[in-house]
Amino acid sequence: MSDARCFHCHEPVPAGLNFSLVFDGQQRAFCCAGCLAVADTIIASNLADYYRFRTEPASKANALPEKLKAELTQFDAADVLSDVSHQHGDLTEIELSVSGISCAACAWLIENQLRQLPSVHKVNVNSTTQRCYLSWNAQQIPLSRILQQLADIGYQASPFIADAEEQRYKAELSRFLKRLAVSGIMTMQVMMLAVALYFGDYTGIEASHQGYLRWISMLLTLPVVLYAALPFVKSAWRGIKARQMNMDVPVSLAIYYTFFASAYATAFNTGEVYFESVCMFTFLLQLGKFFEYRARTRARDATSNLLKIMPVSATMLRDEQQETVSAKRLTPGDIILVKPGETLAADGDVILGSSSTDESMLTGEYKPIAKTVGDTVLAGTVNHDGLLQVKVTSALGSSRLGQIIQLQQRTLSQKPAMLEKTDKLARYFVERLLLIAAATFMLWYFWLDADRAFWITLSVLVATCPCALSLAAPTAVTCALASLNRRGVLIKNSAALDLLPELSIVVFDKTGTLTEGRFSLQQCRLHTDTVSETEALNLIANLEAYSEHPISRAFSGYLAQKLPLEDVSITVGGGISARYQDKKLKVGSAAFCGLLQSDSMVYLTIDEQPIAEVSLHDALRPEVQELLASLRQQGYQLMMLTGDSSSQADALQRQLQFDQMIKGCNPEQKVAEITRLVDGGHKVMMLGDGINDAPAFHAAHVSVTLDSGSDLSKNQADVVLLQPNITLLHDLLHGSLAAKQVIKQNLRWSVGYNLLIIPLAVAGFVSPYIAVLGMSFSSLLVVSNSLRLLKK
Amino acid sequence: MSIIYVLIPIAILFVLIGLVIFFWAVRSRQFDDLDKEGFSILFDEQRAPKRNSDNDNDKPPL
Repeated sequence: MSDARCFHCHEPVPAGLNFSLVFDGQQRAFCCAGCLAVADTIIASNLADYYRFRTEPASKANALPEKLKAELTQFDAADVLSDVSHQHGDLTEIELSVSGISCAACAWLIENQLRQLPSVHKVNVNSTTQRCYLSWNAQQIPLSRILQQLADIGYQASPFIADAEEQRYKAELSRFLKRLAVSGIMTMQVMMLAVALYFGDYTGIEASHQGYLRWISMLLTLPVVLYAALPFVKSAWRGIKARQMNMDVPVSLAIYYTFFASAYATAFNTGEVYFESVCMFTFLLQLGKFFEYRARTRARDATSNLLKIMPVSATMLRDEQQETVSAKRLTPGDIILVKPGETLAADGDVILGSSSTDESMLTGEYKPIAKTVGDTVLAGTVNHDGLLQVKVTSALGSSRLGQIIQLQQRTLSQKPAMLEKTDKLARYFVERLLLIAAATFMLWYFWLDADRAFWITLSVLVATCPCALSLAAPTAVTCALASLNRRGVLIKNSAALDLLPELSIVVFDKTGTLTEGRFSLQQCRLHTDTVSETEALNLIANLEAYSEHPISRAFSGYLAQKLPLEDVSITVGGGISARYQDKKLKVGSAAFCGLLQSDSMVYLTIDEQPIAEVSLHDALRPEVQELLASLRQQGYQLMMLTGDSSSQADALQRQLQFDQMIKGCNPEQKVAEITRLVDGGHKVMMLGDGINDAPAFHAAHVSVTLDSGSDLSKNQADVVLLQPNITLLHDLLHGSLAAKQVIKQNLRWSVGYNLLIIPLAVAGFVSPYIAVLGMSFSSLLVVSNSLRLLKK
Repeated sequence: MSIIYVLIPIAILFVLIGLVIFFWAVRSRQFDDLDKEGFSILFDEQRAPKRNSDNDNDKPPL
């Protein structure tokens, strides 16, 4: 039976368990009562299609403990609910963030499960963002019932408040799609008509037909010029107002003067029309922008939920009565009750109880910190094992967490300024181009041939149309983004690609970036011969499975066989004890097990006899040494900024030999340190993962975070490494170098072409027709050169 | 060839209809989650939106 897999979550089924049911005529085994209950609910609700069509296994369903069920009701309190939802008449609208969605079948499952509830009006699940939009009648059925329904089929949901920025992103993305559709579809139509006109020029076409096709082309181009191309015009206008020519100025010029010249030709039935060029040019540029925007939106989706760390509600004690209130409404002096596993809703002082809290959210350090009466606790940290009464000293907005988020918003505007090089080139180029065009017009109008002046000026403008120039960088960037994305590097800010080749200093955070950021087993010492190491570790793992403590997670990988334990009890700050085969097992600190403290962290005793002791450490990521060596070889200066002030930082420094190491940094110090480097003229990249690194991200030129990092840091970083492997940094650096090279080639080609064609056009040798051919050819060349980036 | 005076406007009409449908699709959030919509064809439509207790009979034996 040991190779059997759970029907629901595909995890191994522990030996000696018998959870099973019959589905589609076959006996199916389950790993735990939780998965069985979930599968039973799903099948009983006529939703078994989920199992037939899903592409990914479900996540393991832990039966919802009574404690958590009670916690769900906190959202029913009227003021908490109104904080997280909108009211539309009788209906309440809410967005839920659902964990456990692994494939599209999950979305279907959730939608249908919720639709079975009578008062649910509308439900829509997005499987990529793992969000659920819900509209229901809150009078008839409380939110906790709905969350309970989701828990029954194995998904944990919590209310989600989309920030304003995200909603703007969404609206912008759909506008992008519409513009893309307009320019794309219209390009096809106009091209089709253009083919007819081309052939007409060679084989002869009736003047009335030609005029008709031109008018139709113009009609079809109108929406492209007036709707799809608007963003370019707006950005160009902003640039002109700020007296800064950007790339959108020549782009809008090219679109509009080509359009108006063609419209003139159509109206007066002379010259040539270039409507298809206008459409195609707009479409290609839109496409590049759209891809960039979508990559950014996807990155935002990956970072799901900034506000999840902001607690929604708190249990307030008022006249010895417990009352659920909205976390935002706590004021200094209130007394709140914090249960084990809860997130603190405000900064405060402990007035009763003792526990340990996980402050990794704020400091990046994963080690729990003991808290007892008189100690200060911080909002956003998680209470581990004891019950605490806390007197609020500052409300959520002014708490340490709130301050860090504010610091981050402040540093946002400090991002080192960078003038895009193509913009500089474009400014230079456009100014001269306009001068040349004006001079050409004068020359022909006054001295040479007044009749031809307009058309020659037009061909100068068309032939030198900065299409190729303006496509040079965006297409290369788009292709580089796509190819890096495929390798697991998500670039959110494409300007980062420009800066990467110029970096001189790479700054690393320690915990979670260079190290794994969690405890792992270093050594296990046995005190007897009666049990083997695997048996001892299995015993420890079985007991630790009952604990929420971060130490216990180190052992989850050593759970070889589930043992029937009895009388499990957890001592806060001590350890866990249980009965197994009439023997008393104890796992925990030396004091808890009644042993002498050595340098180990976890001890195991059976009937008070010492069996084993285990030391744990935060292991270095295996690929770090190699990565650092090769970075050093490439000439980067390496630096470590860590919030950890312990000796582990020094030990790591001895091992990895950074050029500089500063330990015990708080977020402000990290920002100051990086600002100092930037002011010193260095180009700095910051690699980190915690909330405490996020403010520093803005101070650096380029910021990189890991997918395992906190949501806040993923939200703020320029680049997210999607795999837990920091050698992807190599791919990032190489990719940016390749992109830079392609951009250079593109620029050289388009500038060279323009230098060649301008004298010819000014001299009147280039008919507008040839001008268009030359322009299209150079644009095509640039695009296909950029496409090479996709191949590698 | 004067047929093009009729046919092209008709073609443009179709293009406009296509665009209107696309705009409607974007507005009704069909492009938010491309995975899910592709899947929906696999699943049978639900018989009745509300399940009654008499359906409990087809619950498989444990």
